[in-house]
Amino acid sequence: MNYSDLLVQGLVEGCIYALIAVGLTLVYGLLRILHIAHAGIFTLGAYIGLLLTNETGSFAAAFVITVVVVGFFGMAFYRLFYEPLLDKPPHVALIASIGLFIAMEEIYRMVFGATSLSFLAPPLKDTVTVAGVRLEEGRVVVVVLAVVLIGGLAVLAGRTRIGIAWRATVSDAAMAESFGIDLARVRYVNFFVASAMAAAAGIMVALLLNQVIPTMGGVPAYKALAIIVLGGLGNVRGTLIAALALGVIESFGTIYLDRVLDRDAIAFAFLIAVLMIRPQGLFIRR
Amino acid sequence: MMSWKFSTAAAVAFVLAASAASAETIKIGFNTPQTGFAAADGKSALTGAQIAVDTVNAAGGVNGKKLELVVYDDQAKPKFAVPIATKLIQQDKVALGISGSYSAPTRASAGVYQNAKVPYISAYAVHPDVTRAGNYVFRTGILGSVQGKAAAKLIGDTLGKKRVVITIMKNDYGKSLAAGFRSVMADYGIQVIKEYQYSLRDRQFGPIVSSIKADNPDAIFDTGYWFVAAPFVSQLRSGGVKAVVVGQEGYDGVKFIEIAKKAAEGVIIVTALDRDSKEPEVRDFMTEFEKRTGYGADMVGASGHAAVMVAAAALKKAGSTDRVAIREALASIEVKAITGVLSFNVLGEVQKGLKVQEVRNGRWRYHSKIVDAKLLTPPEK
Repeated sequence: MNYSDLLVQGLVEGCIYALIAVGLTLVYGLLRILHIAHAGIFTLGAYIGLLLTNETGSFAAAFVITVVVVGFFGMAFYRLFYEPLLDKPPHVALIASIGLFIAMEEIYRMVFGATSLSFLAPPLKDTVTVAGVRLEEGRVVVVVLAVVLIGGLAVLAGRTRIGIAWRATVSDAAMAESFGIDLARVRYVNFFVASAMAAAAGIMVALLLNQVIPTMGGVPAYKALAIIVLGGLGNVRGTLIAALALGVIESFGTIYLDRVLDRDAIAFAFLIAVLMIRPQGLFIRR
Repeated sequence: MMSWKFSTAAAVAFVLAASAASAETIKIGFNTPQTGFAAADGKSALTGAQIAVDTVNAAGGVNGKKLELVVYDDQAKPKFAVPIATKLIQQDKVALGISGSYSAPTRASAGVYQNAKVPYISAYAVHPDVTRAGNYVFRTGILGSVQGKAAAKLIGDTLGKKRVVITIMKNDYGKSLAAGFRSVMADYGIQVIKEYQYSLRDRQFGPIVSSIKADNPDAIFDTGYWFVAAPFVSQLRSGGVKAVVVGQEGYDGVKFIEIAKKAAEGVIIVTALDRDSKEPEVRDFMTEFEKRTGYGADMVGASGHAAVMVAAAALKKAGSTDRVAIREALASIEVKAITGVLSFNVLGEVQKGLKVQEVRNGRWRYHSKIVDAKLLTPPEK
C-alpha cells in the first residue's frame, strides 16, 4: 500500500472541504449565523457551471461566469433572507437557513429534474503523475484553486481597505460602525466571497464526479459544519487546517477503519473526540 | 380570479371524471418515490408500470374491466409508505398493491398488506424480509443474494477470472450481494483477495482506488448503485486500474454510462433486461419507454412493467377481484414478462434466468445469460 497515494488523495479531498467550509466560517464569523443553505449555494454553482459548460463548450468561461453569478446570488440571498433576521436571536436565522436549504434542494429538483445531469464532454479528465501519484487533472486543478482562492482571501483580508473593514467588523461590529465602516457593504462582500468559493467547489465536484443532483449538498452541509466547529467557529486558518486534516484522516480511514467506522462518520467521531477534550475547537479564535 | 375559478371548476370536473371512470376499473395500488433522492428510479418504475397498464387496457383490459394505477409518492421513506398502504387498502380499496419503491418502504408496507390480506408485489425492492411478511407478498425482482451468486458464476466461470476484489456498498442490498457471491465463489475457484466497504453517499474513491491498484486483481465485483458506481468506475480507470468490473442490477440504466463515459466501456453486469432481445414485447417496451421518458429503458422501468403484467395475469386467472383468489392465482402463476418467464416459490420469491449485459460503444449490449436454475433458485424462507 502506497501511503503517499492516500495522503495526496486526502489532501485533494481536504481542499474541496476547505473551499466549502471557509465560506461557512466567514459567514459565521461576521454574523453568527450557521449558514446551512451554503451547501445549497454549492449545488447551485454545480448546476450553473455544468449547464453553461454544456451550452458554451468552454469549461473555463463557464467557471468564471458561474463563480461571479453565484457570488451575486449569495449577496441577494443575504439581503432577502438573513438581513431581515439580523436582530432576531441566532437560532431564528439557523432555522430559516435549514428551511431554505431544503427548499433549494426541492427547487433544483423541480427546475433541473430529479435525475442527475452530466457534462457532455467532461474536460480535465486526463491523468498526470504528481510526486509519484496518478491524479486526474481535475484534482490538480482543485488544489490549485484552493491555494489561489484562499490565498487571495488572505491578501484581501490582510492588505485591502475592505479587508481591514471586514476584520474590524468581525471583532466588534458596533465599534467598526462608529468608525464609519459601512457594515452592509462588508456583509455583501462577505457573502459574495463565501458564495463564489462554494460555487467554485460545486463546479469542481460536479466535474470530478460528472454528476449533479439536487441533493448533492447534503454531505457537504454537515461535514462543513463539523469542520468549522473543529476549526473554532469563525476562524479561517483553523477551518483550513481542520478541512485538510479531515480529508487526510478520511482517506486513511476509508482503508483502515472501514469495518468499524463509516467514512462519513469519521468527521463526527473526530468532532466528538475534539469537543470532549477541547470544547472551544482545535484552534481558539483571536 | 377568473383563472382560479376556472382551475377549481376543472379540478371538480377532473375528480368527477376520475370517480366515474373508477367505477368500472380494477384499481392497483402503486407506491413509488416521485420526489426525494430516489425520484429518478420512481419515475422509471412508474413509467414502466403505466406502459404495462396502457398495453393491457388497449387489449381490452382484464375480465372486461380496465386497469387503473392508484399512485402515491412515498419518497422511498417507510414513514410515508405505511399510511399510503393503509390508504390504498381502506380508502381506494385496491384489488392488490405493487411497490415501485426501495426496500425500506416496501418492507414497511408489506406488513400492512399482509395484515389486511391484500396481495402485494415488490417490483424491484430486494431486501429478503419483504416476502417474509407473509403469504400475500410476492416479488418479481430477483434477490440480491441470488444476483451475487450469478455474478460469481459470471466472473469465475464465464470470464475465467479468479483473483477478485469485492467492493461492498454498506446497505442491505450491497451486503446481500456480497454474501451471495461469497456463498458460491469456491465452486468457481474464485479467491477474494480483498474487500472494501463504502457508504451510499460516497463519491470520492481515491483511497480505495489506490489500494485496489496495489492489490492488482483480475476482476472487481462491485455492489453499488449507478450513482455511486459511475464515479467509482471512472476513478478506477483514471487511477490506472484495468481489471474488469462486474456490476449488477444497481448499475443498470443509461445514467451509469452517461456519467462514467469512456470508463464505462467493458463494464459487465448481471441484470433483468436484455437490450438486444429479439422479443417483440421487449422491443415495443423499450421504444415506448424512451418515447415517454426521453431516456433509454432500464432495469427499474422493466421491473415496474413486469410487476403490472404479473398482476394483470393473476387478476385474469382469478377471474375476479377477490383478494384470496388473486393471491392463489399469484402463487401458482407462470407469466412471460419482459424480464423473463416468472413464477413464484412458496415464499413468493421469483424464479427466473438472468441477463448479462456489457457496455459497448456507449450502450448496454448483450453479453451472455445465466440460466443455471439450481444456482438461481431463491431461498424458501
